[in-house]
Amino acid sequence: MNHSSTPRIASRLARLSLVAATAALLLPGAAQAVPSFARQTGMACEACHTVFPELTPFGRRFKLNGYTIDNLPQVSDVTGSKEQTLLLNQLPPLSFMLQASVTSTKKAVPDSAVPGANAQNGQTQFPQQASLFYAGRIAPNLGAFVQMTYDGTAGSFGWDNTDIRYAKNVNPNFLWGLSLNNNPTVQDVWNSTPAWQAPFDQRSATAPSGAAATMLDGGLADAGVAGLSVYGYWNDSLYAELGAYRSAPAVAIPLDSTNTSVVDGVAPYWRLAYERQWGRQSWELGAYGVNAKMFPGGGIPLSGPTDRYNDVALDTQYQYIGDESIYSVLGTYIKESQTLDASAPGTSPDLKTLRVGGSYYYRRQYGAGLGYFSTTGSSDISATTDTNGWTAELDWIPYQNTKLALQYTAYNKFNGASDNYDGTGRNASDNNTLYLLGWINF
Amino acid sequence: MKSSIALAVGVLASSLALAQEPQQPAPTLAANVCMSCHGPEGRSVSPVFPRLAGQQKAYITAQLQAFRNRTRSDPLAQAYMWGMASQLSDSGIDALASYYSAQQPVAGTAGDAALMAEGKKIYTQGILAEKVPACASCHGADAQGVGAFPRLGGQHVEYLLAQLEGFKSGVRANAPIMLGVVHNMTVDQLKAAATYAASK
Repeated sequence: MNHSSTPRIASRLARLSLVAATAALLLPGAAQAVPSFARQTGMACEACHTVFPELTPFGRRFKLNGYTIDNLPQVSDVTGSKEQTLLLNQLPPLSFMLQASVTSTKKAVPDSAVPGANAQNGQTQFPQQASLFYAGRIAPNLGAFVQMTYDGTAGSFGWDNTDIRYAKNVNPNFLWGLSLNNNPTVQDVWNSTPAWQAPFDQRSATAPSGAAATMLDGGLADAGVAGLSVYGYWNDSLYAELGAYRSAPAVAIPLDSTNTSVVDGVAPYWRLAYERQWGRQSWELGAYGVNAKMFPGGGIPLSGPTDRYNDVALDTQYQYIGDESIYSVLGTYIKESQTLDASAPGTSPDLKTLRVGGSYYYRRQYGAGLGYFSTTGSSDISATTDTNGWTAELDWIPYQNTKLALQYTAYNKFNGASDNYDGTGRNASDNNTLYLLGWINF
Repeated sequence: MKSSIALAVGVLASSLALAQEPQQPAPTLAANVCMSCHGPEGRSVSPVFPRLAGQQKAYITAQLQAFRNRTRSDPLAQAYMWGMASQLSDSGIDALASYYSAQQPVAGTAGDAALMAEGKKIYTQGILAEKVPACASCHGADAQGVGAFPRLGGQHVEYLLAQLEGFKSGVRANAPIMLGVVHNMTVDQLKAAATYAASK
């Protein structure tokens, strides 16, 4: 998953703190490719994915079509005038995902209870994550991607990424749809946006990661939101989407001051993208953004001043999908302007996040990836914010639904400094992480 | 909130596949599903997916049946078309083949001059020494195809070459006559023939 579920230190940035009490809520992280779709369509993983979770042009179309392309026997019914009123897969497109991992940091992370002591390094997680998916068509023109994930902290399955879609092909050149989802950019079909960006989307659940992140980069998702958006796709090239998110944590109690980071009203989300395909190549350029007013909560009633966040982002993706070699380059740049009238009145910090990565796969069996990441704060918060570094990864994909990845992340700066960033002598490079991931989907 | 996940995936029955999916009319199916890869009206952009516009009806029918009964098993056929064809009824196959064969084919474009020259010789005269018949004898003088012999004109060169290599290696085994044809041809000869045929 993208984000650890351990509590974070609340900071002046109003970084959403994850309240362990809402244990039933599992924070949406990077969703995974699913054999559910393979079962439903009868198509091998490589039809829709270069290497999971990255999508091919056909995979993008499948998703924009509402996950409804379906080659399973159906239970069906029609009205007297032959309108379809039921189209239900006889076999449910269910699938399961299991991740196991070993995480080792250059210097063991501090013990959470005893100052001066260290936690165990080389942490093994089995599972790091386990998820159950229903993914596929549920009715004519209506499909669902529903993920339930085992949360080690809570000891139970909880709600994870969900994207329920309606899609209609108006003519061969235009389709439109609706997406109901709980994680801004989970509904996106390019792998350059935060929910899906390789090689950054697979992170150790226990390794340290920079505290500051924009709303688009998981901030809103962590707060617990639900959003509805409408989208259109012209000529396999132009994409436009407009939506709105509202706070919707997955607990059945009224939202009040005991919650944190509650959206005031709705937070609009927008997305534009242009893709060009030629031969075996495709290139996309796009922009996206979200605007949110948040009550900090956490004891403060949900009224009065709000913290305002305006995110504007650019992204680009290039893919070459050959018979033997697959290359992709993905990048995104997010700029967030904050006006913290509620949690830090009189301050207006900025956050800028840049992530650029590339990957290469040989015969979809051996791969390598390299990425650069950076989050920088404006001068008033820079000293506790700036985090940047590199990630390198080697992959072995013995079968289309199994992956073994070895990833190394090196930090130049962590939470504001290269040296002694936390006041106890810990350096950014002490968080350099070696991460071995085993990932199976079936 | 504890929930026990009974992986009750045990809905085992469907191997009978008695109820095939209600067939939408062919143009709707083609527009909603097939065009995702094969392009609007069957004029695909990516050479991974063959152009279907103006393809011979009998050939499309034979291929869809071969995908459905899995006698055509080259890797991309397995990855994409086995699933796609699995629920097609005979009437659905007939309707799709009629639809695509009636579409306007893509006009071919000439390739590299040297390949075109050699390709023309192979296409119109064959290779006598290797007992390779002229392609035109089955695929037509203008590579338009006839009956179960497919149109080659306007097709992606890369796709044609992939099929020829598939016949030669045995990876695509649902056209025994083609194995005999390409058996003695070199890769360069296959490239030339494909370039010329696609240009028609």
